[in-house]
Amino acid sequence: MIEYLDTHYTYVLAFVLLAIGLYMMIANENLVKKVIGVNLFQTAIFLFFVSVAYVEGGDAPIVPAETNPGELLVASPLPHVIVLTAIVVGVALTAVALALIVRIYAEYGTLREDTLREVRADE
Amino acid sequence: MTMSWFAYTLMVFILLTAVTTALFRDVLSAIVVFGAYSLGMAIFYTFLLAPDVAMTEAAIGAGVTTILLLLTIARTTRPSTDRLFERVHWPGVVAVGAFAIVLLWTVLPEMVAVGAEDAPVWANADVTQYYIQHTYDDTGVQNAVTAVLAAYRGFDTFGEAVVVFAAGVAVLIVLKREVFA
Repeated sequence: MIEYLDTHYTYVLAFVLLAIGLYMMIANENLVKKVIGVNLFQTAIFLFFVSVAYVEGGDAPIVPAETNPGELLVASPLPHVIVLTAIVVGVALTAVALALIVRIYAEYGTLREDTLREVRADE
Repeated sequence: MTMSWFAYTLMVFILLTAVTTALFRDVLSAIVVFGAYSLGMAIFYTFLLAPDVAMTEAAIGAGVTTILLLLTIARTTRPSTDRLFERVHWPGVVAVGAFAIVLLWTVLPEMVAVGAEDAPVWANADVTQYYIQHTYDDTGVQNAVTAVLAAYRGFDTFGEAVVVFAAGVAVLIVLKREVFA
């Protein structure tokens, strides 16, 4: 697997970051840290998409103002657009999740998952 | 085929900030380190030829998300603690370790090398090459990302605006702020 570090380095980084984000969602008891884990997971997927679009020795996806530009070595614009959309949708998701967390704290007075389970079991 | 030493340093920085975000016990420290992580990620996107994504990540990922997280702990609580790091949750480590190993063993060998010119995404004559060749002719915009976002896939972007609007409505309802008294 070590030989892939040279040619597939961004994918290796993306997969490791996916694992860290998943770990935060599973292991952290604090709800705010779980939401940070979701965001970390998302950025790993963005990195995956952006590295799929990358082309060695190329430029950013800017084309010259000509009708027939000919052969151009620029990154693929399509994964970039998907990632832009996903970043904005991700913030919307984070905002809703954090609003729910604020309400949970107002109702139960705790943000810890284990305490929350006990409080709800007592009711 | 290899990147500069700066990009490799940046990858190590991203990895370190991600791990410390996961392990810091203090929520405020975790949020600040996560902001640094987002910034490192934004710089890394520019290395991968995605300046539009990098700017959006720096403004929204490192900016708006951090502000939302800080507002949340300001309105709720920041648990006081005397320990720097969380206790490691070993069943979780085993589970995500298995997840990472499965990805690295099965998906990674199937991927085309980073930046290869014969990569299916890049070399596809009907999709990517079409946009690169025809963007200026069709839309009069030189930035291919802007052209796809606002012209070719304009309805997608409209749908994204609907999602953001729905999220705003949901936040107002959850926080019981839907009535302006």
